[in-house]
Formats: sequence, structure tokens, C-alpha cells
Amino acid sequence: MSPRRTADSGRIDRSRQIRFSFDGANYSGHPGDTLASALLASGVSLFGRSFKYHRPRGVMTAGIDEPNALVTVLKGDGREPNIPATMLEIYDGLTVVSQNRYPSLAFDVGAVNGLAGKLFSAGFYYKTFMGPVFGPLKGTRFWMFCEWFIRRAAGLGRAGYAADTARYERVNAFCDVLVVGAGPAGLMAARAAAEQGRRVILADLDTRLGGSANWSDETIDGMAATDWVASAIADLSGRDNVRLLPRTTVWGYYDNNTLAALERVTDHKAKPETGEPRHRSWTIRAGSVVLATGALERPLVFPGNDRPGVMLAAAAERYAVEFGVLAGERAVLFTNNDRAYRSAAALARAGARIATIVDVRDTVSAAARRLASECGAELLAGRAVVATDGRRQLSGIAVRAFDARSGTVSGDARNLAADCLLVSGGWSPALHLASQAGARPRWDSGLQAFLPPEPTQNWIAAGAVAGAYSTAEVLRQGLETGRMAAGSADEDDGGLPLAADDELDPNPAPVFEIRADGKAFVDHQHDVTADDVRLAYREGFVSVEHLKRYTTLGMATDQGKTSNVPGMAIMAAAVGKPIEEVGTTRFRPPFAPVSLGSLAAERHGHLKPERLTPMHDWHVANGATMFTAGLWFRPQIYGLPGETIEQAYVREAKAVRDGVGIVDVSTLGKIAVQGPDAAEFLDRVYTNMFSTLAVGKARYGLMLREDGFAYDDGTTWRLGETEFLMTTTTVNAGKVMQNLEYCLDVVWPDLKVHLTSVTDEWAGAALSGPKARQVLEACVTGTAVDDATLPFMGIVRGEIDGVPVTICRLSFSGELAYEVYCGAGHGTHVWETLMEAGELFGIVAYGLEALGTLRIEKGHVTGAEIDGRTTARDLHLDWMLSKKKPFIGSAMMDRDGMTGPGRLELVGVVSLDGRPLNGGAHIVESSNPAAPRDSIGHVTSVCYSPALRKYISLALVEDGKARLGTRAFVSDPVRKRFGPVELVSHHFFDPEGKRLHG
Amino acid sequence: MAEPLSPLQPVWQPGRHGNLSGGAGVVLSETRPASIVQVAAWPGSERAVIAAIRAATGLALPDGAGGGVAAATKAAFGVAPGRFVVVDQAEGLEGELRSRIDAATGSVTGLSHGRTAIRVDGPKAEWVLSKLFAVDFGLTALPVGSGVATQHHDVLAQIQRTGAMRFDLYVFRSLSRSFWKTLCHAAEDVGYEVI
Repeated sequence: MSPRRTADSGRIDRSRQIRFSFDGANYSGHPGDTLASALLASGVSLFGRSFKYHRPRGVMTAGIDEPNALVTVLKGDGREPNIPATMLEIYDGLTVVSQNRYPSLAFDVGAVNGLAGKLFSAGFYYKTFMGPVFGPLKGTRFWMFCEWFIRRAAGLGRAGYAADTARYERVNAFCDVLVVGAGPAGLMAARAAAEQGRRVILADLDTRLGGSANWSDETIDGMAATDWVASAIADLSGRDNVRLLPRTTVWGYYDNNTLAALERVTDHKAKPETGEPRHRSWTIRAGSVVLATGALERPLVFPGNDRPGVMLAAAAERYAVEFGVLAGERAVLFTNNDRAYRSAAALARAGARIATIVDVRDTVSAAARRLASECGAELLAGRAVVATDGRRQLSGIAVRAFDARSGTVSGDARNLAADCLLVSGGWSPALHLASQAGARPRWDSGLQAFLPPEPTQNWIAAGAVAGAYSTAEVLRQGLETGRMAAGSADEDDGGLPLAADDELDPNPAPVFEIRADGKAFVDHQHDVTADDVRLAYREGFVSVEHLKRYTTLGMATDQGKTSNVPGMAIMAAAVGKPIEEVGTTRFRPPFAPVSLGSLAAERHGHLKPERLTPMHDWHVANGATMFTAGLWFRPQIYGLPGETIEQAYVREAKAVRDGVGIVDVSTLGKIAVQGPDAAEFLDRVYTNMFSTLAVGKARYGLMLREDGFAYDDGTTWRLGETEFLMTTTTVNAGKVMQNLEYCLDVVWPDLKVHLTSVTDEWAGAALSGPKARQVLEACVTGTAVDDATLPFMGIVRGEIDGVPVTICRLSFSGELAYEVYCGAGHGTHVWETLMEAGELFGIVAYGLEALGTLRIEKGHVTGAEIDGRTTARDLHLDWMLSKKKPFIGSAMMDRDGMTGPGRLELVGVVSLDGRPLNGGAHIVESSNPAAPRDSIGHVTSVCYSPALRKYISLALVEDGKARLGTRAFVSDPVRKRFGPVELVSHHFFDPEGKRLHG
Repeated sequence: MAEPLSPLQPVWQPGRHGNLSGGAGVVLSETRPASIVQVAAWPGSERAVIAAIRAATGLALPDGAGGGVAAATKAAFGVAPGRFVVVDQAEGLEGELRSRIDAATGSVTGLSHGRTAIRVDGPKAEWVLSKLFAVDFGLTALPVGSGVATQHHDVLAQIQRTGAMRFDLYVFRSLSRSFWKTLCHAAEDVGYEVI
């Protein structure tokens, strides 16, 4: 057994060994150990190097507040830095390395920084690297020179580059009462609320529920505190209305009593079970919250207070009682309060030798003296520790007389040998969540601590966080708050367990710092000293918020859990004001670091869902190259072996012009517009008239935004007197739906119109080409499809192989074309039947590239041209602007700047050098590529036109209509393209529309 | 007529999956009702629409937001004020409802192809769904028969509790394959069976 392991105390499982490695050396521990307790038990005292000065650091705490002992966990190819060794449960195979040291933890060349302590004081970066250049060692340029070295010389752990392969998940939870913290107060509150029949969640960041009861060695309700905890947990576990969440840190308190928590589900396992996440992110919506978050012991600030072996008194108590580990063989306690004497006594009972107790107070209570004598320790009252000795491990301390009222030391130093210095500077309630959901914390001059503020949300504090000192008071508060949170008026004390009242004085002496020679650290994690705080004051950073930013006090992973109050106290002393007037920074989420993976949760590695058309699998099986359009997956081309994209789409587009092609148009937005006022509604949202549309007919429609710019277009079909099927562009479907719903809900609530997204109800296939009708004639039954029965913009209903279909004759390609709709579940069957029927006519399936080519040849606009900056007139769609009725955008579409000269107007562009054009390229007038002068417009959509056998594009060009027939140049310096073009009508192909009508 | 094709077909893998150490926590299935219909009432016509639904299906909807009722082969539940989803395993429901609800009373919209019906059944159903939806699935908050309209990121979902441990989800067909994969992923830790 390790020399530091106690004979029999602790809640660890001594029957089993766990093996792990730290910095390449193998160690062992027991189930229930943290990395910190296992390494301490193995005699390790050096855990890391400090942020700035690379000073050797050990373990200061036993929990989430640890500022020093941060390590990097290696798992697979991944590395996770900055994990407190105090929170890391060991498991077989755990591999951990120390941080911020080179070449080794024991010998770190960065420690040379400690020699330049004055240089690296508060404001070092501001003073050295900001402002104008004066000589070689000042200013931003100097920073650029130094950055590489500084980044390597200072800091915390190093993140890895390997992708995180762990699994994360999110859970939503609802409860009547959330209890945060499962110490005696939290357990009591949870039980009280559960007994009222409320749904209760009890969360605690530790593995073992019970909080301080796990190491206090107290008696509750006539039994050992740990037994009481076990019975309370058993009781809660047996209730259906209670959920227990160990290893769960509640880290954020948001509006409407919504709290965020992180559950470390499998960090303590070598390998997760199937489906188990590493972390689980909880979003908890609670009716009320009991904050039983306890209190954090704070250190005293004195020279050499960061040496390995200096540890908070309660942490040492916890290591001894909960983990069966003694932090040292010869310990000295240094305190300003009575509570620490109990820690010393607990250590002594566990087998530690408490040689001396150094107390800054002249007078010590009788109860504390009794505990000192139980320890067999020499009591040095009215004394303070002024220095520590040792290199990588404490070897001794120096003590001098101390006047707690004036804060001065005097007399000769007395040197004491010690390998462990237990320090206690009082307690700070862990009011972080209360602060996030409350007003400004209140200073209690008796407890010398900030207490929870007035709540701004529905929470109540219980136990040590509320300033309760004795276990009896903690339990009473737990009972009361649990009932209050549950809405019970029960005041019966029957359920209150018995616990001894504490005779110790709850109030510490108001001593935070011992001023003597040497570096005295306030914020151990960021190497902020007491002198840094005073320097900030002298340089005008008096506000605590400015102090934090200037010195970095309270930043980094521990967020100042051990340093905030001492820092404020030192600033208050410098300013000459009481602490309550100096105030404290407000806490914000997160209470402790949160993995980004847990926030991404199930979207980790899978950002968006895939939206698939009914014929998706057919496309993939038939060689389509799919690409995304929003969430949708659509065929780009159906390429043949060896074909380029251009060759494929040219072949497909040509096949449409020459014969017939089929394209999947299921992605078009489809909205059922139903109700007695449906036609009136459409008149208001479209620029053109729909109330005059006959049943069984479709019409092309254009929408404007309220500001008069073009918004979206599509065809709308009148299926019945009060029923329309509106189609939108694929990309704008959601936006259009939302906007229309807004109009009905807010603008015209009097209209009787219902809107329903039916995009997914219908599979759509567009048949285009001179032989399209022949294909339909070959497979459609129940209706004729001749020109008389199905004229342009006409609608018929029939069947294809027994499947009901609705067919509308409309065209996006400029060819004779039909859109065939059927129930989505029949989409593939109808598609395959059409393909089969079209085989005789050489039908080809075509993708978006060919679709785009056909529409560019016809001069039809899409989102590339309806880009939010163009008007209907810019796009030559002014013929669609009804003069007989108002519509959305009509009041704004003719305002200044929206009409007249200088507007970018739609034109066609033909490449004159036979080279492709690029979307986004500029149109310029100058023929000199080196000085193209001002842009007169830009290219929007491009293709090679098989019909024209040229590279063409659509473009928006200043006063474009007036420039038709003129020459210009395309300038695309990014892609190194410059060449002559001709500006022509956007109707490249069949401008009269003869082919459209067959 | 050809059978409608399920969008889940390529990812539908019958059998038991995930962590089965405690048995299958949920059973996942596609219920494939032949009729999924949305019925919406104009303000003031809600009772008439509820009566029409009852006449067409025999389901007596409670008068209140989110209320619903589920029977062996039929179900109906509210998804918004005056708006209901009515489901029948048999075909023909849309026609039945259209014959009883005229334009002056409300509207009837067929969604039989547009929504995929997924059933999550089992003791861990609430747990699995709570990973995906910010909805209180507690039995008191969402009693048997009642429903809710919600979404998992981009995936809209209408959910009806059809049993103490059973929920029927109606999601957009085009997103249902992606959602099914997400659902299976979410159920892995408690084990799931696909039937």
C-alpha cells in the first residue's frame, strides 16, 4: 500500500486496482479515486506548471474549483486539455499528461520566466505590444515578432487536431422542482419536494451524491452522515417522480427557469456501452429551483502560497476521509477561522500528523482549541505564514507574529518543517447560478462572503450557499425550501433529521492577505499576484470589471472560484473602501467548462437533415450525380462514362430540344391555399390577378416584397372554386409559406384562408420536348391530353398505370411541356412508367444543369436574378404588375430609385471569344484588361447553349435594355478571365414561343 | 394500383439493434395509414368540424387545444387552434370528410402521401423522444390521445400520444428517412426493435 494511503478510511473500493499512466509513468489506484487522489496516494505532489511563470504547482482543492492541477487526457487520437485532476475519475488504461512544460514537468525551461516577474506583471501585453512603434521593442510589429514564442511559452493545455469521434447527445427535461447540489441540503430539499408528489430532478456535479456528508464524519439522524446519505438516495431512487443525475454540472441559468446542465456520462469509462454518449447536454425546464450548491473554501494570499503541498484545509480533509489519502506526512494548518480546525481534527483521526496550527486571530474559540488539542497540534495564535520553502515540494514554512486588525507582520520568523500546509481563508458560497438569475450578490460582513442576491427567477437557496453554517441549519433549510419549491405550506418539523448544532464560530477573521516579501498569488490559474491587483489600482483600473480584464483575475477554466473574493478584498484595501462598496463581478454561464460536442449533440458530424424527393433512389440507381439545394438533394446530371459535367448537360438539354426529357420537380414548394377568400388572398399577394382564373387552369404569378422588390415566382393552379395549389421556387418555399402565414395571422386576419404545406404530398415530374405529348398519350388513361383538352396552362386529371395523376401543361424549358403530379408514394412508379412510355421516343432524364441551360436559353429568371435587389421592371416582368388592384409591394415599387435610368436590367450575354462565362463576373466597357474601369453589371447564370452553340449567360447590366446589340467585356480577375461579349435580349431561343405551343 | 412506396425502405432494418442489455427499450415502426387528413375550421366553426370528424370516423374529439383521441385503427388530435390531424388505416377518409365539411365550415387537406407515420412504443419512448423534442412527454402534461406540433431542428413533427408508452409521429415525407436515422441513433443506448 502507498505510504500516503490511510489504513482503512475512505469510500474507495480497496479490493480492486486500477492502472493508469501520468506523463508516461504507470500508477495504480482504486475505484472511487480521482486522478488527484490516486496520484497523491502515490506520493506525487507536482501536477503542472503555472500559466505565466511556469512555477511548479500541486493540487490545491478536491473539486471543480481546482486552479492548478490541470491535465490533458489522451484517448485514441484525441487529446482533451485542461481537465482538473480533481474531477477526473480514473479507469484502467487512462492516459494523462501534464501541461505547459518543456521538456518535462520536473525540468521546465519555461521556469526562466519567473526571473522576469516584474516584466510580466498586469497589463504586460497592453504596455508592450499596443500602440505606435517606438524602436524595435514596442508596438504591434514587435507583437508579430514575439507572438510565436509567447504562444509556446505561456498558456494552458494544447488542443489536438484529430476529429472528435466521441458521441454526444442532448436531452430535454421538464420537472416541477430542480434541485442543484446533492449535499445534505439538496437531498433534504429533493426528498421534501418528492414527498409532495412533485416531479423532481436532483443534479450534482460529483460522482458520489451526498456532498460534504461524504467526508464530514458527522452524525445525521443518529447515524453516520454517509449512511444517512445512502438511505436518502435509496428513498429518492425508489420514487417514480424523482430523477437523480450524478456527474451532472448545472452550468447555466436562463430565462423562464430554463437551466443547462452537462452530464459526464462515460468520461470515467475506458469504453462506452453501445449508444452511450460521452456527454449529455440537458436542457431542464423547471417550475422552481432549489439551489443547494454549497460553498467553496478560499485560500489565504501569502508569499509562496502556490508551492506544491499547499492545499485547502477542507480539500485535505476530503482526501483523507473520502479517498483515504493523506496529503502529507507532517502538516501545518494556517487559518483565519474555526471551521478549519474540524478539518485538522478529521485529518488527525485519519492518521495525519498535525504539527502546528497557525491562526491569524489572537483569540480562538474554546471549541476550536479543543479540536486543536485533539489533534495534538501546537497552536500559534496571532501568527501568520509569511514564506514557504521547497522546490517542487513544500519542505517548510516561516511564521511571524501578525496583527489581524492592521494586517501587519512583525517580529522574527520562526521556521517550521512541513510537507503539507493546509490553508483556510473562509468560505465563499457557490452563488454562480443564483447570480446568473438574480440581482447583485449581497456582502455579509460576518461571514465575510457574498451571499445569493434577490432572485429574478423562481429559485430558492438552501444550505451553505445561503450562508447556513451548521449541518442542523443546512438540513432545516433543505426541508423548508424543498417544500416551498413544491408549493407546500407544510411547516411540520417531523421530517427533519437530527444533527448536532455546531459550537464553532461561523465567522472568519477579515483577513485575506499576509503582506510580506515574495510572490503572493491571488489567481493561481492565471498567475495573478496581489501586487498585480495593486498595480491595476495604481494604473486606474479600480472597477472590479476593469480589474478582471486588466489582470485576467478570475478568468480561464476555473473562473476565479478560489480567487475572486480575495482579489476583491485586496482591491478594496487598496482603494480604502469596504468590500461591499467595491462589489464583485457578476457570474455568467458556464459555471464550468462545457464540451462543444455536447452543444452540437446529435448534429455532431451531421449538420442538417437530408431532404429527399420520392424518386431519389431511382436517380441514384441510374447514375445521377446528386448535389444539394438547401436541404434537398437533386440530380445535377445523369452522366455517362467519361462525360464531363458540361458534356452531360449539353447532351441532356439537346435531347429535350430534339425529343423529350424528364426532370424531377418534386422539390418545388407547394402550398394548398383553401377557403372562401382564397382567390382574394392570392390577388393581394401576387402582382397579377388570380380571382379571374378559371377552375382547371394555372397561371404564372409574381410576388413582391413589401418594399417593392421582386420576391418569388411560380405557377398557381385553380383546382376548385375555393381551392388553389400554389407552387414556389424550391429555395423560397419555407420563406414564402411563413410570409403568407404572417399575412393571414397579422395583416388580414379577417380572410378565411387556410394554408398547408403540401410539398411532400406530391411527386412531380416535368416532361419537356416536342415529343412530350406523345409520351403522355402512350401512358395516360382517363383523360385526353390533346391541345383542345389540355391547352397551355390547362389542368387535367387522369391515371398512369392506375395511379391518379394531375397534369398541368406549363413550361420552364420553352418546349411543349407538362408537369405530372401524383401522390408521393407513387412517385417512383409513375416516373418509371413515364420512362418506359418514353423509351420509344428517346426519353432522357435530365438534371439541374440541363434544366438551367434550357431556362437560360429561354431567358427565364430564378433566384440568381430575383436576388432581392431587382424589381419586376428590372426583370422585364412589368407586364405582370396589375393596375386594377393593389398587392403586396405595389405601394413601394415605384418610389425613387426603383425606376428610371441607372437600374441594373436583365440582358442576355453571348461570349464572343468562344470561352465559358462565369457567374459573378463583371461586365465592363473598357477593352483594356489591365484597366477595366467601372463595372456596369454582372453575370448571374451561365451555360453552354446547345441550341445556339455558344457560351451564353444572363446578366444584370446598368440600363441593359438600351445596350442590347452592343459589345462589352466580361472581367473576372479572380478567375483570370477577360474577353469580349455581346449584350443581347434575354430571350435567346424561340423568342416567339412557337415551340411552347407544340 | 401500385402500393405506395415507403420513404424509409432503404433504411428500414427489421430486428433488434443498439444496447440490448436491458431488452429493447422501444419498438419503432412505420404505421403506414392509408389516410392522413388535415381538417381546419374557421373561427367559430370548431364544434361543427369536431362533429363532422365524429360523423366520419366515430372519434369524439375533446373540445380543447391539443386534445385528441386514439382508437385501434383511427386517431384524431389537435395540432393548432381549430386544426386537426385525422388518421385512418383505411383509404377514403379525405372523401368522407370533404363530403361533411363545406368551404363555409372549414377545409380538408389530404396528406396521406406527404407525411410519414412513425410509431415509438415502449418503456423508453419518452426518454428517446426527449432527446429530439423540447416537449414535456410526461403523462400528465401529454395525456393519452392528446397531441402536439413541434419540430426537431428542420424536421416538423406532429406527435400524438396513443398509449401510456406509445407515440405516433407524423413527419414530412421528404425528411422522414433522415429523421428515422436520427431516431434510431437516439434509441441506441436503450436498445430498439424495428418491426
